[in-house]
Amino acid sequence: MSFTAATEIDNAIATITLTGDLDASSAPVFREQIDIAAQASPKRIVLMASGLDYMASAGLRVLVFANQKLGTDVDIYLVAPQELVLETLQKTGFDQSVIIVDDYDTAIA
Amino acid sequence: MEQLTVPGELASLKLIAEFVLAEASKVGLDKKASYRLRLAIDEIATNIILYGFHESAQKGDLHLSATTDNSKLEIAIEDSAIPFDPINARQVEATELERPLEERQVGGLGVYLAIQGVDQFRYERVSDRNRNIFVMNLA
Repeated sequence: MSFTAATEIDNAIATITLTGDLDASSAPVFREQIDIAAQASPKRIVLMASGLDYMASAGLRVLVFANQKLGTDVDIYLVAPQELVLETLQKTGFDQSVIIVDDYDTAIA
Repeated sequence: MEQLTVPGELASLKLIAEFVLAEASKVGLDKKASYRLRLAIDEIATNIILYGFHESAQKGDLHLSATTDNSKLEIAIEDSAIPFDPINARQVEATELERPLEERQVGGLGVYLAIQGVDQFRYERVSDRNRNIFVMNLA
């Protein structure tokens, strides 16, 4: 399924909703949304991931880019990733670097 | 034997994924195994396209073939890009996987996911071609 990423900024929280397949061809779309979010100097990034069906290492690279772009003070939350996307995060240790939560309310609390 | 030939461009990744998932479905691989096989092939295909072709300003195709013998599904990718053996490429150290994001070296993660996501991975250099072979055992 084709990839989409849409950003909303509210109260210094940038929420990016991800859907579809995130591979090396679609990663620039995600990266562009990180750039848009960064312009608002958010204090937190919330990635809505329940509709993200697939993620290759190109997606992990964007997470590293986000961290470098926004600085280590800005936490990255990942809300409700699917089982196999989560498995990739765990295998590569990225589950220690982003905050994985079950729902949006926890991410913005 | 099913085959697919696509240009060495990132836009081909979608067709490659469709081919792999269709072959996985034909032999009844479950969702997890299908996902891992697709991820492995996607990562290696991405490497071939970005580093084998684009970075060395070469053009070429990726040739995929799928075979099955009831005990396993084997998918091979062949390309004419510069020699690249993922097994002997820079391996990700276990300590690297524990580093925080700001200290991450991201190179090598794709190859790591590819090799450990399939039941068997082989690399062969056959005349002027790289051949990456991915095997999934059938239950």
